[in-house]
Amino acid sequence: MVVTFFHDMFHEESSYMIKTDVVIIGGGATGCGIARDLALRGVHHYLVEKGDFANGATGACHGLLHSGARYAVTDPEAARECIGENAILRRIARKCVETTGGLFVRLPGDSKRYRDTFLSNCEEAGISTEVLSATRALDLVPELNPSIEEAVVVPDCSIDPFRLCMLNAFTSRHKGGGILTHHKVIDIVRERGRCTGVKVLDRFTSQIKEIRAKIIINATGAWGDTLARMGGSDAPMTLSKGSLIISNHRLTNMVINRLRPPSDGDIIVPNEAVCLAGTTSIPVDDPDAIEVDPREVDLVATQAEQMLPRFGTTRLIRAYTGVRPLLKAEASDSRSISRGFKIIDHKNGMFSILGGKLSTYRLMAEKTVDAVVEEFGIKARCKTADIPLDGQDELSGYPLSKRLKGIDNIVCECELVDRAQVENAINSLGIQYIGDIQHRTRLGMGPCQGGFCTYRALGIMQETGRLTPDESIEILKHFLQRRFRGIRPALWGDQLREEQLVESIYLGILNMGQRA
Amino acid sequence: MSAYGYDAVVIGGGVSGIMASLTLASRGFKTALVSRGDPVCCLSTGCIDVFSHSDEPLGGIRALLPDHPYSLVGEKGIVDSLSFFLEIMGEAGLPYEGDPGRNRKILTPIGSTKNTCLVPRTMAHADMPPGEYLHVISFQGIKDFFPSYITSRHRNSTYSVYDAGVPTTLGIAARFDDASFLDAFITWLRGLEIPLDRVALPAVLGTIDPDSVMEKISRAIGRKVFEIPTLPPSVPGLRLFRALKRVMQNRGIHLYWGKGVTSVECQGRTVEAVTLATTGRAKRVQGRAFVLATGSFVSGGLFAGRDSVRETVFDLPVAAPGERKDWFNTDFFSGAHGIERAGVRVDRDFRPVGAKIDNLFACGSILAECEIMSLQCGHGLAVATGVAAAKSCAQELS
Ligand SMILES: Cc1cc2nc3c(=O)[nH]c(=O)nc-3n(C[C@H](O)[C@H](O)[C@H](O)COP(=O)(O)OP(=O)(O)OC[C@H]3O[C@@H](n4cnc5c(N)ncnc54)[C@H](O)[C@@H]3O)c2cc1C
Ligand SMILES: Cc1cc2nc3c(=O)[nH]c(=O)nc-3n(C[C@H](O)[C@H](O)[C@H](O)COP(=O)(O)OP(=O)(O)OC[C@H]3O[C@@H](n4cnc5c(N)ncnc54)[C@H](O)[C@@H]3O)c2cc1C
Repeated sequence: MVVTFFHDMFHEESSYMIKTDVVIIGGGATGCGIARDLALRGVHHYLVEKGDFANGATGACHGLLHSGARYAVTDPEAARECIGENAILRRIARKCVETTGGLFVRLPGDSKRYRDTFLSNCEEAGISTEVLSATRALDLVPELNPSIEEAVVVPDCSIDPFRLCMLNAFTSRHKGGGILTHHKVIDIVRERGRCTGVKVLDRFTSQIKEIRAKIIINATGAWGDTLARMGGSDAPMTLSKGSLIISNHRLTNMVINRLRPPSDGDIIVPNEAVCLAGTTSIPVDDPDAIEVDPREVDLVATQAEQMLPRFGTTRLIRAYTGVRPLLKAEASDSRSISRGFKIIDHKNGMFSILGGKLSTYRLMAEKTVDAVVEEFGIKARCKTADIPLDGQDELSGYPLSKRLKGIDNIVCECELVDRAQVENAINSLGIQYIGDIQHRTRLGMGPCQGGFCTYRALGIMQETGRLTPDESIEILKHFLQRRFRGIRPALWGDQLREEQLVESIYLGILNMGQRA
Repeated sequence: MSAYGYDAVVIGGGVSGIMASLTLASRGFKTALVSRGDPVCCLSTGCIDVFSHSDEPLGGIRALLPDHPYSLVGEKGIVDSLSFFLEIMGEAGLPYEGDPGRNRKILTPIGSTKNTCLVPRTMAHADMPPGEYLHVISFQGIKDFFPSYITSRHRNSTYSVYDAGVPTTLGIAARFDDASFLDAFITWLRGLEIPLDRVALPAVLGTIDPDSVMEKISRAIGRKVFEIPTLPPSVPGLRLFRALKRVMQNRGIHLYWGKGVTSVECQGRTVEAVTLATTGRAKRVQGRAFVLATGSFVSGGLFAGRDSVRETVFDLPVAAPGERKDWFNTDFFSGAHGIERAGVRVDRDFRPVGAKIDNLFACGSILAECEIMSLQCGHGLAVATGVAAAKSCAQELS
């Protein structure tokens, strides 16, 4: 790696240049998977991500490691890819995957003919199934609607997208790759029509850096077209917004799907102590201007309630939305657009990887890197399917017993995160952003959604000198505003009550309201 | 079932319910107060915000719309009720000061100032002229209090940290009740040789007699001393509640604490009794008139379902803004969310509008249109409407 410092004559501040072989733009599952693949094949690279890992669709997704059953009827190719990757990820990413198994439940009125096609297509795709009577299904998941007709067991799993990104990036970092989070690509450097580097903005210092590379990989999901255009080409896609809600209880230990043609609100995925229910599918134009509509929340909650009746009365802690980057197609219903993926060689030094799913991120990375090494004339085989992700041994999971150890100095009461963990995250990882601490410690992920502990974590951060007091208050304001966006669409019942309390604290006791 | 009979039964033990019951008792009515749990004033700064949104509370109130509960009370009623509150706090041994004509400032844990109207004596010196020197004392391990927030905003300020042996505000406050702890603290403080002018601490100066603790410290170091209210759990909020409860007991008000009303009995347009959930037999409390003071969402007087707001004891009609999407606007910091106006609408006599009940009155944060968050008027509104509803209730009884 060559790092040259130089003074840019056109800018006031000094800036610096980095040289490498490949620059990956995007720190979602796809970008991180590509970084690991390149690292294992010995290709030097840098990954740039404008937020923290999983800042885009990866962090806003359902966390379902598909068995492929959901696509068995509508998209057999995607189904086959899914079951293949499902088996691989269970093997290589044990600490990210919870092998919950999944149920497709058929409610009264759901077509029996669809069920028959479903079973035969699953068999054809190589997805194992077992049909259960309602009684046996209720033994497995007691909270199920007792009036279901039957259920089919499939090998669906729950997956932690953030961890998946972190562990993929871990290998890259370990092998000398550069990972720059909170760095936004603001321009692509071109020389004689060829992309030769990227200009990135360090969002913390506001410094602009330049990274020169032979190849640029655009793995920015929904932002793919924007980046391709910066490079002088384009990458047409269809963007589809999907919204999800989180309950504050784990109402099922298995993934629950509705046995009917894919539609709104027909999947519930358990994750740690909560459940995620979703989703909707609404075409959008701008991935940066999306919001959850309260009506989406009602729709998803109503559908989820049909499968797990307790979803109707349980407390919802948040709603959120993400944008699916789908391949452009003629069809107007975004659900019937292929979930397959495509690699575009823009023939200008840039490759874009488009479409796909979280479940197939590794395969997408493999195919992309195959294309890139061919360009370099290197004959290195992909090893990502054979070697388990590095860094998993150090991960303890989040067992309660461990979390209870520092009980006398708890910072986050909901998730039992103590001061030492927060300080450790700040000191060892050099974390500047509150979101980063939250992702790594689970601080603020519980029912209060950081309403109480974020103030505390920021106070600790400014005490360690990482932030000035003023900066930390600014970050707090920003956090509260963002948090409010997430919980606003699902504010009723106990969650509304708690929100009033949080508001009284910040606007009342701390007088942070606009009129302050 | 056992039955108990009173002239007036107040439901809800927050500041509004307490002020209502004290008003009724002071007029000689046999009064009971029923409360499911401790009120939200325990979480508060302990200060009485009357209208903190502007510098002159009464001026701000004059500009409110006629359907705001303050407008129903009227200026004289508000001023009288606040005097009554000051009188009560004097009797309780936790004197407050302040003037409804002008707000004063207190200091917040993030170093900003906040308007409020009546304050406990331990916060009287918080309203300091610019340029004065401030020394902040913090405590080892204390949660939610970071003195550098304050010193970074005050040009002339420094801080020191004392190890009280416990990290919680309630724990430290309990230590300050002990004279030998206080002496050791004062010895330490003297050793710091703090320059003039003022010393501020998080609000932990004892649970019983904070004024004496403050006086003792102030005399020992020759500096003005004041408290900074902390996030919940709040010691000054708890002191306020305990003081009010003491006066209710002294004045012979019958308290049913820790038991919520689960059902009501009506005869025509009259409420005759309420039933309390108790672990043993259900208790029936009879009254000739009732005051509803069960608070807003936080205390459960109001409950928001997925698409409508309910009043939880009598199922009274609730004025609420449109659909759920209209309950909150997108800006967290505006405070002026539609849901702030939800609640029970009352007439000039504080009778719920459209209730078809003649001997029921309502007061406090359960009322419609009060906008407590954006106007910053929580306790002031509770005091004023509590006293006003009780006066109407007294008229009904005599
Ligand atoms: C609601 C929803 C639910 C889903 N559920 C599932 C599921 O259960 N299972 C499943 O397999 N798939 C699911 N998907 C699909 C899956 O989430 C996505 O296909 C996958 O995560 C895409 O990953 P990615 O890395 O390609 O894109 P992203 O995760 O979107 O990553 C792109 C990254 O690029 C970054 N970026 C953008 N512009 C710049 C720039 N200028 N500079 C630097 N960085 C930039 C972004 O910050 C972002 O982090 C779901 C999708 C949605 C929307
Ligand atoms: C965190 C926080 C900080 C605040 N800080 C301040 C401040 O610094 N200054 C200020 O002026 N205002 C402040 N406020 C606002 C102020 O505290 C409230 O507006 C005011 O105290 C409300 O009083 P209340 O009597 O209407 O109701 P509450 O205090 O809510 O009391 C209602 C009572 O009714 C009881 N109850 C409910 N249902 C039943 C039932 N079915 N049966 C029997 N009892 C029942 C409850 O248990 C509760 O005790 C703050 C509010 C909060 C939440």
